[in-house]
Amino acid sequence: MTQLDRQGPADPVSVPFTPGMRDNPDELAEMPEEIARAVEEPADPTPTEELTAEWRNASYNCFSSGHKFCREVCPVMQVTRNESWTPTAFHANVVAMDKGELTIEDVAADYVNCTQCGACELRCPNTLFTGDFYRFRTRTVDVVKAVRALAVESGVHQPAWQSWNARTDELTHEPVLGETPIDQEHVRDWSEGLDLPIGGETVLFVDCEAAFYRTSVPRAVAQILQQAGYEFGLMGEQWCCGGPAAEMGYVDQAMRFARHNLDNWRSTGTRRVLVLDPHDYISFTEDYPKYFGEEFDLEVVLVVEVFAELIREGRLTPSVPIERAITYHDPCRLNKRKGIWQEPREILRAIPGLDFSDVDRVTQWSYCSGGGGGLPVEKPELTAAISASRLEKAAALEVDTLVSACPWSERPLTEAGEAVDIDVVDIHELLAESLGITVGGSRNGGAGA
Amino acid sequence: MTIAVERLDELVTALRTVLRDEQILTSKPDRYNRARVPAPFPVHRWSERLPDLAVLPTSTDEVAGVVRIAHDLRVPIVPRDGGTGLTDGAVPLRGGIVVDVKRMNQVKELDLENRTVTVGTGISMLKLNEVLGKHGLFYPDDPASYPCSLVGGRIGTSGWSLIGSRYGHTRDLVLSFDHVLPTGEVMHVGDGIGHKISKSSSGYQLKHLFMGHQGTLGIATEATLKLFPKPEAELSPFWAFDNYDDAYRCVGALARAGVATFAGAVLFDEWKVAYLRRDDEAYIPQPGDVRALVCAVMYGYEDEVRPAGKRLFRIAREHGARYLGDEISEGDWAARHDRYATPLHGRTKSGQVVPMSWHCEDAAINYTDLPSVSKAWHEIVADLRRRTDVFDDWGMFTYTSGNTGVDYLTEIDVGIWEQQLDDRAWEMWVRAKRDIAAVALAHQGSISACHGSCREGEVDLVPDELGRGYDVMLDLKRTLDPHNIMNPGKYLLDRAYDTGAP
Ligand SMILES: Cc1cc2nc3c(=O)[nH]c(=O)nc-3n(C[C@H](O)[C@H](O)[C@H](O)COP(=O)(O)OP(=O)(O)OC[C@H]3O[C@@H](n4cnc5c(N)ncnc54)[C@H](O)[C@@H]3O)c2cc1C
Ligand code: SF4
Repeated sequence: MTQLDRQGPADPVSVPFTPGMRDNPDELAEMPEEIARAVEEPADPTPTEELTAEWRNASYNCFSSGHKFCREVCPVMQVTRNESWTPTAFHANVVAMDKGELTIEDVAADYVNCTQCGACELRCPNTLFTGDFYRFRTRTVDVVKAVRALAVESGVHQPAWQSWNARTDELTHEPVLGETPIDQEHVRDWSEGLDLPIGGETVLFVDCEAAFYRTSVPRAVAQILQQAGYEFGLMGEQWCCGGPAAEMGYVDQAMRFARHNLDNWRSTGTRRVLVLDPHDYISFTEDYPKYFGEEFDLEVVLVVEVFAELIREGRLTPSVPIERAITYHDPCRLNKRKGIWQEPREILRAIPGLDFSDVDRVTQWSYCSGGGGGLPVEKPELTAAISASRLEKAAALEVDTLVSACPWSERPLTEAGEAVDIDVVDIHELLAESLGITVGGSRNGGAGA
Repeated sequence: MTIAVERLDELVTALRTVLRDEQILTSKPDRYNRARVPAPFPVHRWSERLPDLAVLPTSTDEVAGVVRIAHDLRVPIVPRDGGTGLTDGAVPLRGGIVVDVKRMNQVKELDLENRTVTVGTGISMLKLNEVLGKHGLFYPDDPASYPCSLVGGRIGTSGWSLIGSRYGHTRDLVLSFDHVLPTGEVMHVGDGIGHKISKSSSGYQLKHLFMGHQGTLGIATEATLKLFPKPEAELSPFWAFDNYDDAYRCVGALARAGVATFAGAVLFDEWKVAYLRRDDEAYIPQPGDVRALVCAVMYGYEDEVRPAGKRLFRIAREHGARYLGDEISEGDWAARHDRYATPLHGRTKSGQVVPMSWHCEDAAINYTDLPSVSKAWHEIVADLRRRTDVFDDWGMFTYTSGNTGVDYLTEIDVGIWEQQLDDRAWEMWVRAKRDIAAVALAHQGSISACHGSCREGEVDLVPDELGRGYDVMLDLKRTLDPHNIMNPGKYLLDRAYDTGAP
């Protein structure tokens, strides 16, 4: 029989113990330390040093895991297979900057390659496995935003982002990537004939893409609200929410835009903002509170959630059957960033006639349209490849329609859908149709039928 | 060590004859991000381990083209796949070219009749199994790094599968592969010349030679793998014990039982249980008298797994086990891939949470030697801890290797506060690793059952372990790689050459 002597000597480190427990022997904490020292912070830190001081431990949490469990869910990685453009690389670069090995000039261009979908954050074992206990979430999206901001602050620009933000500044709206005329005068054109008031306690905020390009979406939303007897108005002078500028690192511009919108809401007595675009939802629930603190006391309400509730309460009853074989695309900023995935499914299940092949939300962590985080501005070819891969997954389900709930995803998804003969429809449009509403508006900036 | 600018230009010009510009990466971040793997790494010496450039080939021909150029110009080549290896195999020690094969990730042929699949070696097992699942099949190479390691790296390390007692390990599961030799020639490695033969007696058996070499003998580009029916049932009971001895005896009895669906048994020791107690979600709702844990795993059809499970439950009960219930058992087994590398578990002795890297030393040890090896290993780590909080003992587990339980993957996990690593701490660590390997050898074990042993510290003892066999390694290396271009510096193989460096 094997000898099983497991009794060690009396030294407290030679027996198993749980560090930090009150009943541990004092000698443990009193043992001499030969190596570990507190990190010395420079007295007058450079912008890079400020960034690395803020993100040092968070980045080490990833660096020291370094396994890249997140890799196969990263949309950019899926299509490029380039390890420099993965969540770990984004953290590792911060460690390298902290060690003086890399500079912001070296790394800035790599940080373009992120749609800020948040899949990596969820897939990371540091979030998944120990996150709840330590209240820790890997925050790759924030790291990417912070590094992009440092780049802009340091005068390192990406050419397309720079001119795009300059144009947004000039137009007070995003140039929505095309030739569509954009200005303050036309920002409400989408609502022609709907007879909507301006201002009031509740206003509907319509993002630039929906206001100028996919106008069928806000029309559908407004008409459904009207049918349910839900009171709301349009914003007085609406500017871009500033979210995309913040995502690309143009923080001052983002804050100026936010300030304008907040002041405008105040001037029209607004207490509640209805949002149909998941990107705006992120801006208003994450960025604005950061900019304004307690001053930002408005209620932000997502339209998809309102509609699910109205259906539940029987105030909306979709009844016109829609004979389509569909699947649903979980927009990253709803599912992964905000945990909103049930309500859209509730709406789809309430629409008669649909043959719905669902893909569960966890599987969809690895799906993205490629339309977020400024990627289509700087690298349209990557956005197209990511959308194509999303449509390939839809095609495998033998559906004729892909439903999304995010106007920004719909343009690249629609383009990719043409190749596999799949129609891309917005969930609000689909609901309106089933409610017997003739929506009108355009799904492509009015560029032909 | 990097190559001179003029030579670099010459190299890039030559590479452009086989690759598109976009496949040749020379920027600093591209190089820094291909210089590390998850194992703790002296970050303060990061710049000493950079490649000169990285390439992203998409076919065997492109890989062969790159290797030929490197061979002609005498430039080092380091194959890199998932970059998750824990023994620094994919870390360049002499600069040169990192050949990153992640773009070779296609499923090329699925043969449902012969039950094989042929894939590019840059594919992950997770993605492959998504494809195979639609046909009711699976590829059962299941390391804890399942979501992130890739088929080529599995070949390069000849690693360990958590369900290997039932299905075998990588070396059993890979039938054959295309392989680019250090000269740039392409050969097919496997039993016989066919791609789908599992056993032949023609000639020397070369398959083992070209697996687990850590990229020192070439690059696998396309592999044909054995497939199994996707298991209908999975049973993974976890049992608690109030002492190590009973748990140890239990794990041996489970492995010796000879149950056909048995896929593995694991023993977690007292240190591991204390480590897991550091957070709430692991095994912790367990009372303080839980000192050791045993897990057994069965895979198969419902009607074979259930009765087999009954037998194992009976054996466990006879050894004083307390069953932890379905919820904990299923949850903990499901978390088998995510339980590693949780830096938030790092602690100083007084309890401060600090981000630490996970490091593991693994060895193959006979069952009868497990208790004394684990005792000696914990003592080595305790010695480090007495001196500094840079190191933390994250406990040990041992895992059956074969289905008879003859030997065990024996692993000690050490947390390392990488932010604090300096030359002194690194030196302490390298010495500790050497001591750990020496304990394995003193017990007639092998230095590694799993990750390889080509890293500073343990690698020093590989010649001792292999004896005359190590000289055969040197002979083979010199013959196959006359100019020492494949992953130079690894496994001390520079000794095969007069000059050392290329
Ligand atoms: C969280 C975690 C858990 C782990 N659990 C396990 C486990 O349970 N079992 C286990 O065995 N390992 C485990 N490992 C270690 C690691 O995953 C394995 O060693 C794996 O086989 C490495 O695969 P890779 O694709 O990442 O290879 P890499 O790290 O890229 O390469 C590993 C070695 O193989 C060489 N190589 C890479 N590609 C090729 C190729 N195409 N042809 C020839 N040589 C090549 C490299 O040069 C290097 O020497 C774990 C690692 C982590 C981070
Ligand atoms: S982000 Fe999380 S999952 Fe990805 S490499 Fe870092 S630690 Fe791993």
